[in-house]
Amino acid sequence: MFLVDWFYGILASLGLWQKEAKILFLGLDNAGKTTLLHMLKDERLVQHQPTQYPTSEELSIGKIKFKAFDLGGHQIARRVWKDYYAQSQTALWDSCRLSHIINGIRLLLTWLDMLICVDSSCRNRAARVAEMTVDAVVYLVDAYDKERFAESKKELDALLSDESLANVPFLVLGNKIDIPYAASEEELRYHLGLTNFTTGKGKVNLADSNVRAMEVFMCSIVKKMGYGEGFKWLSQYIK
Amino acid sequence: MSEMASPDPEGVDGVRMTWNVWPRTKVESSKCVIPLAATVALIRPHPDIPRLQYAPLRCKTCSSALNPFARVDFTAKIWICPFCYQRNHFPPQYHAISETNFPGELYPQYTTVEYILPLSNSLNPSPVFLFLLDTCLIEEEIQFLKSALRRAIGLLPDNALVGFVSFGTQVQVHELGFSDMSKVYVFRGSKEIPADQVLDQLGLSTPGRRPHKASPGVAGAGAGGLPSSGITRFLLPASECEYTLNALLDELQTDQWPVPPGRRPARCTGVALNVAAGLLSACTPGTGARIIALVGGPCTEGPGAGSEYGAGVGELSVTGGACLWKTLLLKLAYGVQNFDFVLSLARSKIVSKDLSDPVRSHKDLDKDAAPYFKKAVKFYEGLAKQLVSQGHVLDMFASALDQVGVAEIKVAVERTGGLVVLAESFGHSVFKDSFKRVFEDGEQSLGLCFKCAHCQLYSCFSGTLEINCSKEIKIQGVIGPCTSLEKKGPSVADTVIGEGNTTAWKMCGLDKSTCLTVMFDLSSSERTNTPGAVNPQLYLQFLTSYQDPSGQSVLRVTTVTRRWVDSTVSSEELVQGFDQETAAVVMARFASLKMESEETFDATRWLDRFLIRLCSKFGDYRKDDPSSFTLNPSFSLFPQFMFNLRRSQFVQVFNNSPDETAYFRMLLNRENISNAAVMIQPSLIAYSFNSLPAPALLDVASIAADRILLLDSYFSVVIFHGMTIAQWRNLGYQNQPEHQAFAQLLRAPHDDSQMIIRERFPVPRLVVCDQHGSQARFLLAKLNPSATYNNAHEMSAGSDVIFTDDVSLQVFFEHLQRSEFLGSSAGLIYIVLLLLYVPQDTISVKLILWLPSVLLLPILHEEGHA
Repeated sequence: MFLVDWFYGILASLGLWQKEAKILFLGLDNAGKTTLLHMLKDERLVQHQPTQYPTSEELSIGKIKFKAFDLGGHQIARRVWKDYYAQSQTALWDSCRLSHIINGIRLLLTWLDMLICVDSSCRNRAARVAEMTVDAVVYLVDAYDKERFAESKKELDALLSDESLANVPFLVLGNKIDIPYAASEEELRYHLGLTNFTTGKGKVNLADSNVRAMEVFMCSIVKKMGYGEGFKWLSQYIK
Repeated sequence: MSEMASPDPEGVDGVRMTWNVWPRTKVESSKCVIPLAATVALIRPHPDIPRLQYAPLRCKTCSSALNPFARVDFTAKIWICPFCYQRNHFPPQYHAISETNFPGELYPQYTTVEYILPLSNSLNPSPVFLFLLDTCLIEEEIQFLKSALRRAIGLLPDNALVGFVSFGTQVQVHELGFSDMSKVYVFRGSKEIPADQVLDQLGLSTPGRRPHKASPGVAGAGAGGLPSSGITRFLLPASECEYTLNALLDELQTDQWPVPPGRRPARCTGVALNVAAGLLSACTPGTGARIIALVGGPCTEGPGAGSEYGAGVGELSVTGGACLWKTLLLKLAYGVQNFDFVLSLARSKIVSKDLSDPVRSHKDLDKDAAPYFKKAVKFYEGLAKQLVSQGHVLDMFASALDQVGVAEIKVAVERTGGLVVLAESFGHSVFKDSFKRVFEDGEQSLGLCFKCAHCQLYSCFSGTLEINCSKEIKIQGVIGPCTSLEKKGPSVADTVIGEGNTTAWKMCGLDKSTCLTVMFDLSSSERTNTPGAVNPQLYLQFLTSYQDPSGQSVLRVTTVTRRWVDSTVSSEELVQGFDQETAAVVMARFASLKMESEETFDATRWLDRFLIRLCSKFGDYRKDDPSSFTLNPSFSLFPQFMFNLRRSQFVQVFNNSPDETAYFRMLLNRENISNAAVMIQPSLIAYSFNSLPAPALLDVASIAADRILLLDSYFSVVIFHGMTIAQWRNLGYQNQPEHQAFAQLLRAPHDDSQMIIRERFPVPRLVVCDQHGSQARFLLAKLNPSATYNNAHEMSAGSDVIFTDDVSLQVFFEHLQRSEFLGSSAGLIYIVLLLLYVPQDTISVKLILWLPSVLLLPILHEEGHA
């Protein structure tokens, strides 16, 4: 084990190996994706213009380092979402010679890891390297904008039924509950078609069940509340 | 706002300066805080500029042109150059000169004149337009692109020469002159091809080919000789190839190379530009040519990237044949470099083909974790160098939902003086209307159309700028779309800002809105501080030569003078000469440049430091009484500009991709002062029933339920309907005859927004939105958050708050005042504390405010060391 870790350490110091988890912030426009990203980065609330092009930030929540991608939520920008979770069969074969070698080492390490370590979390990591997809999706919904629940459900359904995201944990955040008359958690679950289809808050071990982790948390980014619990829940499924 | 009073702040000369009165010494100028700089609208048309049909007289020592500030001895027929004091004899053709009879360039009001240089007209080649079309697009996008191109081709003047290159996995150079069938030269997309090899492959490098020898072929295209030889096979007059081009567009398909799932298409933008530049190198020197690149995604295939699919000759020809099924594949062009050579070449790639590897973000660039970035920038620097030496322009029209690499290509566009438009789709009005504007004739086109009948073309070619200045003045460099010509001289400063180390610059392309910023310094010594013995005036001369759209060669000479002032005696005069708007724009450009070129440069802090120093130098206050602080009216708007600048997209890159930031900065650097000021501090107009449309404060307090607001932030124009207005509109009141006034109210901001849009290039994004709607964020993000969710307790109906922890202008200003009496360094710490780490409630704000200054002393001490 230590040999493997030492290898990873060397690669990490060379910038060739990143242990960051990749998460996507998705949802309709004005759901609060960019505001949440900025809040997580700086703990400050800022009014932003609508996001036009995908951006990313590095966050560390708890012990996990995230690379979070904030994608535009308006209709046409949603076309680009799939590029960020697309699964690639040829992912390990990059174009240049050098990356052939690096990828060779990566592959070797993955095998080593799988051979040496029988612990389930490590197997997850190995599997993930092979898949090269995202580690989690944070789906934001404006809980006050009830008129757009149907539109939001449609996009969420499309994501949930996408094969590339089959085993990716989903954190659904119902934002803006500071506004009076915002939807309650039950209401939101109902409108998104998630009633009884979430895997439960708290510590639920899903490692062997082949069930995707998914849960709804209500939050107010403005009041700096709610999303922390969500990320705490989410982090147990990212390893 | 004060600038709005005078209708044309740039005047005839198109020159504005941060300081209109200059301090005498380098020490004094550094105390002025804001650097000495001038912005020059190089060829901005003005009805009062005379056009003289002869060449200018040049000083024999410093080669500055004769100007109204020269002292003329009419009896001795001598003029004394104001820059170097050289005495010059008038040549024989000026023999009739007298006090009552002198040439146009000596009239005191003609500080700007244009000389039409007598150039033999036969040598004037037609301008060249080489379209470079990305085919790695989805069907919908390529259809948008085709229709935009068809329209553009229809608008081209008949004499313009047109070429066509398409690219995807490979580069296809279309031979338009071969009318019997379409003929295409295919270049492999994975190897950089040197210009001479491009010519070789295209059959353009006949032995003994000399550029000027090929010129009759270009100029006399179709007029006889051998029409199928040389460059004329690829570049045809628009009138002759319109049919061929349209047929070609009809047949053009999206790139047929298979894209495996999870991969990006193989797009060889870099090599395509390389080939296009190589093709243009066969043009006559002095030909104005533009590469008009229409790009829909990032470059993923580059020279040296290696061959991913092991594509051999056979494989490539098969795919090529399948892709261009109706075309005759005449020649497969291959670079035969060995592998080591390929590896050593710069790469044009922006991102790998793997979708799991996203395009670099600001964070990646900060961390130096963008593996392709530096190599790509180097590649495009090389391309820029080639294009500049050929005198050709690169225009970039990028339309995609993700980044395409504008941040890397920026250098090539900026150094050649090209245009840039960034849009999310080729179907979006930002692209469609901008692209049309480039080619169409009329008042709003980018050209200088009122001067001649047939100059539909939007811009001028082959520009050079030379600057002469009084000997105490040193030029640090130029910020804006140009390239340094590395012409050393006594006026070159030791420090370089932007394109420096020179007194001459080249602009391969320039248009009537092109505006450059020149940064000045004063020489440190040699000043004998004896007033009276020295000239009380300083002089600057800008000589811009260019080829105007009709092919004429023009030299525009602008000579300006300003007064030296001994600011050690009195700063009163100095203060009066401060131009706040120009200073704000220069600071924005300077800060942007530093953010790009200096790692770990903290722009917010840097700007705060400037502002505090400025306020402590020019503010008035009684000791220990912050409330007594006042700023001279000449500075009163400046803090607000800085407040908006530090909140703007130029300084805050969060939520912007590197491509967007690069795009915003390119336009900031090339626009005139009024437009650049709007980018920093948008303008807001309010429309309501009871009053005429009037400017409103850029503040959340300007929002009201029964008002419509029109925000102009340059890149977007926002029409914002208050809640009540939106309700009435949804109920259709505007359609009822008794509510004509309402219909009018609704229409007014639309009409005004069209006026803004019509005059602007690139065409701004028009956003029409309602209060509390999603798109209202285009407005809210720009407003001063005087009412936020934190402090607005009693909200009246229809008013609004902004969900932000940012400080408002008022709080910002209060802190500024307090920081004054505390001394600048401590004040800086204050501001940084307050603005970067803003506490959540007002009580802690006060706590920090009244922190005893003793606490700050250690930090202050550190400051001094740093």
